Amino acid sequence: MIPLQYYLLLAGILFAIGAYGIMTLSNGIRLLMCVELMLNAANMNLVAFSTHINDASGQVFALFSIALAAAEAAVGFAIILMVYRLRAKIDIENIKLLRW
Amino acid sequence: MDPNLTTIDFRLYAHWIMLLPMIGFLLELLIGKYWWRKGGMFATLSILGSMIISYGCLYNVYVQELGFWEYSWDWFYPGIVAGFTIDPLSLAMLCMVSFISFFIHFYAIGYMSHDCAKNVYFAETALFTGSMFGLVLSNNLLQLFIFWEMVGVCSYLLIGFWWHKPEAAAAGKKAWMSCAVGDCLFLLGIAMMYTIMVKQGITSEIISFNNIFQNLEHLSHEMIFGMSALTIICILFMCGVLGKSAGFPLHVWIPDAMEGPTTVSALIHAATMVTAGVYLIARAFPIFLAAPNALMIVAFMGAFTALYASTLGLVVNDLKRIFAYSTISQLGYMIAILGCGAVLGVAAVAFALFHLVAHAFFKALLFLSSGSVLHGIGNVRDIKEMGGLIKGMPWTGWTMLAGALALIAFPFTAGYYSKDKIIEEAYLYASVHDPGPLGYLPWIFLVLGVILTATYTFRAWYLAMTGEPKSYPAVHPHECGFWMRTTLVVLAFFALFLGIITGGGTKFWHFLEETFVHETHTATGIYPGLDLHEIGRLGGNTLLEHGVHHDIPAAVIYLPLLLMIAGLAIATMVYYKNRVDVSKYVKKDNPLYQILWNKYYLDYLFKDIIAEKIIMTVFTFWDVLDRYVIDGVVNLMSWITIQSGQVSRKLQTGVVQNYATAVIFGVSMLMILVIMFRGGL
Repeated sequence: MIPLQYYLLLAGILFAIGAYGIMTLSNGIRLLMCVELMLNAANMNLVAFSTHINDASGQVFALFSIALAAAEAAVGFAIILMVYRLRAKIDIENIKLLRW
Repeated sequence: MDPNLTTIDFRLYAHWIMLLPMIGFLLELLIGKYWWRKGGMFATLSILGSMIISYGCLYNVYVQELGFWEYSWDWFYPGIVAGFTIDPLSLAMLCMVSFISFFIHFYAIGYMSHDCAKNVYFAETALFTGSMFGLVLSNNLLQLFIFWEMVGVCSYLLIGFWWHKPEAAAAGKKAWMSCAVGDCLFLLGIAMMYTIMVKQGITSEIISFNNIFQNLEHLSHEMIFGMSALTIICILFMCGVLGKSAGFPLHVWIPDAMEGPTTVSALIHAATMVTAGVYLIARAFPIFLAAPNALMIVAFMGAFTALYASTLGLVVNDLKRIFAYSTISQLGYMIAILGCGAVLGVAAVAFALFHLVAHAFFKALLFLSSGSVLHGIGNVRDIKEMGGLIKGMPWTGWTMLAGALALIAFPFTAGYYSKDKIIEEAYLYASVHDPGPLGYLPWIFLVLGVILTATYTFRAWYLAMTGEPKSYPAVHPHECGFWMRTTLVVLAFFALFLGIITGGGTKFWHFLEETFVHETHTATGIYPGLDLHEIGRLGGNTLLEHGVHHDIPAAVIYLPLLLMIAGLAIATMVYYKNRVDVSKYVKKDNPLYQILWNKYYLDYLFKDIIAEKIIMTVFTFWDVLDRYVIDGVVNLMSWITIQSGQVSRKLQTGVVQNYATAVIFGVSMLMILVIMFRGGL
């Protein structure tokens, strides 16, 4: 049995990597991947705590969260696809027309 | 409806006197253009309807003796009513206004026939006539004031009817501004009356005339700034009267108002609207009587105006302006005799109203005949360019002579009975009244006015009608047509014979003297039944006992007649026989002539000094204050907002990473703070 701390440590590392990516990267697809990383870090926490307290509802919640992430990824990639068609680039730094 | 007209009680339909011309106004404005002669029918017919109801009411009250009538209903606020009153005072005005207005509309069908906006003209005159009826019929001060303003609006619109002429537009503005000065003060007076009536605990019909009259005894104890409140109110009312009835010093608008169509001058600035002020004093007469010293001010202002305006009439060369000054002067006579009511009581109202009615006939006639002159010789208005017109336009010339004779009070014309009675009674006022020799001043002013009136009136008539034509248009004048000629003849008949018809005025006076004091209550009548002697005592005025005969010296009675003949003789010698050459006095270097020619510099005072120097200076200061201080503060505020926006909007980079960084940073800081202060999550 792997102790809870290891799960939490792994989730923390994944979340930190995702957050770092969001703050520094400009490629749209990488950005989305970072968002998925952060989301899955949270899911991992849910599952770890769920087994720790012997309650399956956390795992069920994680499944919902994964479905949600899939939908969100679909929308995100669709947007990025449109941006690529428009600009032939997927750097989100270019998308700031409404700034001032 | 009962076919027998004598059984109709017209008094119940009094509001239709006012409403019919209003309906005529709407019809004329909306569809008048597409009917008979492109305008004029609806206005004229609606006023004919009002005239029928007015004379029906007169028949009810005077012949059938059904009694006075008054009815009202609640208006927008409890205690303020809309009401109509039928008594000899309002009847005299109603019958005069409807008759004159109908015939002036009749005349205008011919006079305005070449105008392209005829329906607008007739709509405005119909609205004016309706408002004038409303003013006369009002039984309370607020309603009267509203119609008072409405006739002012119509006057403004009609003076500026030919707005494409700059002088006409300016004259309309001047008329409106001059009247507005008086009207503001009048409104203040009404507000004060309302206040002191409410103070008495009165909650219904607060500013109805009859209710005020019944409470005069309590009201006379009210003081403001150590003066009787009623006196202050009466002075404020008098300011309104001076504006509307062209009293000194607010008369300056009337001569300029002659820029409007001549029918307007006849209807509004001679016969009806300008008499509204006289009517107001007559209607509010018991209030003036109960206010100490108020009537004395009225008498002096009126008499001074009478003399003042007639001196100006001597030098003006514009035919219409000569008659305008004579209107101011005759209104002064009416106001002066109302002031003499401090001794004469309600008889003064009767004398004033008789002169008002007579004046309406002969002055409307004079204006309409001068309108005919203008129409006939192509709008030449300078009498120095006329001459010999009577050969080309006999109808106009002779009817104008009838009007002029009535104006100068030639024996047995209407003016003879009305004006000479006023002068006699002004003497009686002086000989009975307390203030001593000063009391003779109104009489002296009025008597001097007579000789000047005769001179300037016949100066105008001789120069225009007799002698040789002095300009090209005057050589071939063309006589007026059917519509105008009929009106001139009808008015000339009344100008000459009104006095004789009314038995030398006595029938009229007896009828009018009933106004406030009739006491016999009958089933079909509503009367105020005031004791004017008692009311006069409140204001320190001792009225003459009714029926007591006072001897007036024969010299005083015949003095006005002699002076009239003297004035006529002067005019005849100078302007008809040419025996006396006045050209050495009538020159710009004669200082007296200079003063008269410049109208005592009153226009100069108002326009160049008060308006342009004083008010403009104040406004310049205000403008600087407004532009640099008030606007400066506002602009500074907006400048700060804009500048701070310019700086702070740079924070919004539009780059997603920055926002994400900010969110993560913010959440991290929040968690650190929570941990620090709560010692755990």
